[in-house]
Amino acid sequence: GQSYPGKPKIIRCRSLEKETFSCWWKPGSDGGSPTNYTLFYSKDSEEKIYECPDYRTSGPNSCYFDKKHTNPWTTYNITVMATNEIGSNSSDPQYVDVTSIVQPDAPANLSLEMKPSASIMYLWAKWSPPPLADVSSNSHVYHYELRLKPEEKEEWETISLGEQTEYKVIIRQAGVKYVVQVRCMLDLGEWSEWSSARCIQIPKGESPPEKPTIIKCRSPEKETFTCWWKPGSDGGHPTNYTLLYSKEGEQQIYECPDYRTAGPNSCYFDKKHTSFWTIYNITVRATNEMGSNVSDPRYVDVTYIVQPDPPVNVTLELKKPINRKTYLVLTWSPPPLADIRSGWLTLEYELRLKPEEGEEWETVFVGQQTQYKMFSLNPGKKYIIQIHCKADHYGLWSEWSPEYYIEIPTDFRVRDMVVWIVVGVLSSLVCLIMSWTMVLKGYRMIAFFLPPVPGPRIKGIDTHLLETGKSEELLSALGCHGFPPTSDCEELLIEYLEVEDSEDQQLMPSHDKGHTSKNAKMIPKETSSDSIRGSCDSRSLLAQKGRESRALPSTLQTQDVRDVQENKGGKKTCKMHHIASEQETVLFNDDSTKSSTWPAVQLPNNQPPVFAYHSTVDAHKIILNTTNVNIAPVLVENEEKHQSQYPITETVHNNMEKQREMENLLSKTDQPTVRAKQNRPNPRPPFWNPKLMDYVEVHKVRKEEDPSLFLQHKGNRGKTKKSTKEYTKVSTVVDRNFLVLMPDARIQHRPVSPEPATETRQNCQQGQDEKNTFPSEHRRDNSGSDYMDPTSFMPSFK
Amino acid sequence: GLLLVVLLVSNMLLTKEGVTSLPICPNGSVNCQLSLGELFERAVKLSHYIHLLSTEIFNEFDERYAQGRDFIARAVNGCHTASLTTPEDKEQAQQTHHEDLLNLILGVLRSWNDPLIHLASEVQRIKEAPDTILWKAVEIEEKNKRLLEGIQKIIGRFHSGEIGNEVYSQWEGLPSLQLADEDSRLFAFYTLLHCFRRDSNKIDSYLRLLKCRLIHNNNC
Repeated sequence: GQSYPGKPKIIRCRSLEKETFSCWWKPGSDGGSPTNYTLFYSKDSEEKIYECPDYRTSGPNSCYFDKKHTNPWTTYNITVMATNEIGSNSSDPQYVDVTSIVQPDAPANLSLEMKPSASIMYLWAKWSPPPLADVSSNSHVYHYELRLKPEEKEEWETISLGEQTEYKVIIRQAGVKYVVQVRCMLDLGEWSEWSSARCIQIPKGESPPEKPTIIKCRSPEKETFTCWWKPGSDGGHPTNYTLLYSKEGEQQIYECPDYRTAGPNSCYFDKKHTSFWTIYNITVRATNEMGSNVSDPRYVDVTYIVQPDPPVNVTLELKKPINRKTYLVLTWSPPPLADIRSGWLTLEYELRLKPEEGEEWETVFVGQQTQYKMFSLNPGKKYIIQIHCKADHYGLWSEWSPEYYIEIPTDFRVRDMVVWIVVGVLSSLVCLIMSWTMVLKGYRMIAFFLPPVPGPRIKGIDTHLLETGKSEELLSALGCHGFPPTSDCEELLIEYLEVEDSEDQQLMPSHDKGHTSKNAKMIPKETSSDSIRGSCDSRSLLAQKGRESRALPSTLQTQDVRDVQENKGGKKTCKMHHIASEQETVLFNDDSTKSSTWPAVQLPNNQPPVFAYHSTVDAHKIILNTTNVNIAPVLVENEEKHQSQYPITETVHNNMEKQREMENLLSKTDQPTVRAKQNRPNPRPPFWNPKLMDYVEVHKVRKEEDPSLFLQHKGNRGKTKKSTKEYTKVSTVVDRNFLVLMPDARIQHRPVSPEPATETRQNCQQGQDEKNTFPSEHRRDNSGSDYMDPTSFMPSFK
Repeated sequence: GLLLVVLLVSNMLLTKEGVTSLPICPNGSVNCQLSLGELFERAVKLSHYIHLLSTEIFNEFDERYAQGRDFIARAVNGCHTASLTTPEDKEQAQQTHHEDLLNLILGVLRSWNDPLIHLASEVQRIKEAPDTILWKAVEIEEKNKRLLEGIQKIIGRFHSGEIGNEVYSQWEGLPSLQLADEDSRLFAFYTLLHCFRRDSNKIDSYLRLLKCRLIHNNNC
């Protein structure tokens, strides 16, 4: 569609020389149809509106006001109107003051030239004033400004010039491309734009040489020395270099004696010209057509600039002594120029080496010698070696010598190999043997190395004794005066119980007190025909039955045995061979997996009971006929034959009360009888503890009950519910009939409480097969022991 | 075990700097003394040590106090021993008679007796002087005395044994070490250290020449 045009905008008005000016505008949208633009202006505050006199001169969308239409003192109010078919639109008015919009064009025709003058390079720039539309007006005075810089640089050097249209500038840097621009300004107004840049290349050769620098001075042998310098740029012209020096203490300046020997840009001082302990002041001068330049001075004392050549004649030799490791001998010679002989120069050497593939050098300081032995090289490897040297401890190290290679042969001595082979074979043999033995006798080996931990039932050792620390009693408790066991039935746990019946014997508890020793032992006495023997064999009681006769001692067999057997019924029990006519002794051994213990039942007898005793055997309960029993014998079979078996007697703790009771009972009865178990038709004899019999547990004895000693199995102790069980030490065996129990001081006054039969029942769980054998000759002196030590009576069983 | 100990001890003794095997004097000898070779050996070791110290102390001082001051230019012609005429190169030294050379050495050493004492004491006044410089100054002064004695002994072995004819140079530089102006004072120290480094080198070189000439017959 078509619409009226957009609003034009006056961009800029500018006067070149204050006499004319132009304005430019920017059209708005044309609204779709051709648009005409007209510029209207008014002057100052006048109302008259003029139109632009010239739309062409300044280009499209411009208006040029020539001289006639330009008045510097007038303020112009200018608007531009855009008109098309539809309508028109006017720009905002612009107020123009001619003097304030003056900006000339940039100068034109800038040209650059190089003008050498004497030895100086000049850059000559020329230009002309900006062109004007009106050529006639030449009365303008422009001021100019010039700026230049080397092409690579960023910062301009700006020079204010007057009205001149040319300029000469001194160029110091040869071989550089310069960029130049100019601009101008009228009295009032702004600077013009910078003219377009002009570049010019400064030719190189057109400058004096740069300052040379002295690199280093060196003396290879402390007799001559050489200095080297590095030239600067030569400024494009051939440059001469001269070295001048003076010595300390002298005024005169000398020139280098020899420029050639040491090569280009060097000076060689021979022996005549070399002095030591003197400072040389050395400088180098560079000269060309354009000028000359001098280096900075260098102060040199030859003493301190000695750097020798590397060592020569390096030889590497491998020495292979017999029976020793191959080693390397390095030899070398000092550099030829060094005068070592007179002592004027002393050299120290250092070598470095590394394996061919290695990365780091290993450095070895050698000192003043010219040979070195290396022992620490690895056979089979290739090494690289270098040597260098230094003068007089404080000089400079020489360059490294060239690389020398050496390969260490593999030192493969036959003897070593043989040794290793032998070692290998032997060790493999040993391993084979070991593994085979392990396989074959694994268990035994294991048992050999890790023997089963024995329980703390040491035959003959009384822990109580240990506690008290009475060694003599302890030792005696160990059965030191024991009799050798006679039983050779290894599998049978045989204990002998000899109980002799003596009616006259009374239990004399009071006597116990006389035995202060806790280690009162049962006094074994010879068994008489009345002695009871019982044998317990836990394992083969049944078989035992057929062996009663064998188990029985020769002289003693009583019907009680049978009784015992009868009573036991199906139970395995220790056979108690009751060898007392009136006495009945029952020993019950509960079944035990281990050795059987059997309680020793003492019958009140004239003959002292002999108690055989096994400590590690299952506890048994012994039911004693209180009437008959003076002492409750306790027999514990010791499964183990070690004499250090724990005597059961010591583990026999009885309740004091029980003991008392028992004692009382015993004392009361004139003829205590030991009622055989057979009197108790109790199918479950209350006594046994089929397990290990360590302790004899004395239960409280009721009147109607038989006093009983319960051999408490150690292991079963936990099972027993009664924690109040106590054990009494047996103080002594008196007259073979009496087992004197030690009064326990702790429970001295405890009332007697009925012993629960449950207890007994508890323990009567398993029958124990035991085989008891009574060694008639078995006598032990238990006088010192509180405990009955069956080991003292009996052979120890395996 | 015992052998090892013996080896270790002997090794220690042999490698220790400055320790040389004692001369074995036969029993009953009246005038048992060190051989000339021994004396020279010790003298050379000592002079080397002194020169090492002097180099180190100079370098340390230069690094610490003389940077950017261009003392070296000013130190030219600043040594008080310049008045002593000494051989300036190998030829001259080789052509000098050993006794003369020894006397020259003695002269130089004597000339340094005094300055070194003052150096050791004055260097402590330099602010924040590092310990290394301090102890080296003291050490140098001590060792210089030792060397002086050694050279006198050596000279005594020669038939003329004229010690009276010693020429040495008096040092007047003490005031310069005590100047108030720090720059001047430091320059004085610098000059002194620079000059001593040079002279100790001189002495070291002469002694080596003499040792190889007299003891090893120019076949070191």
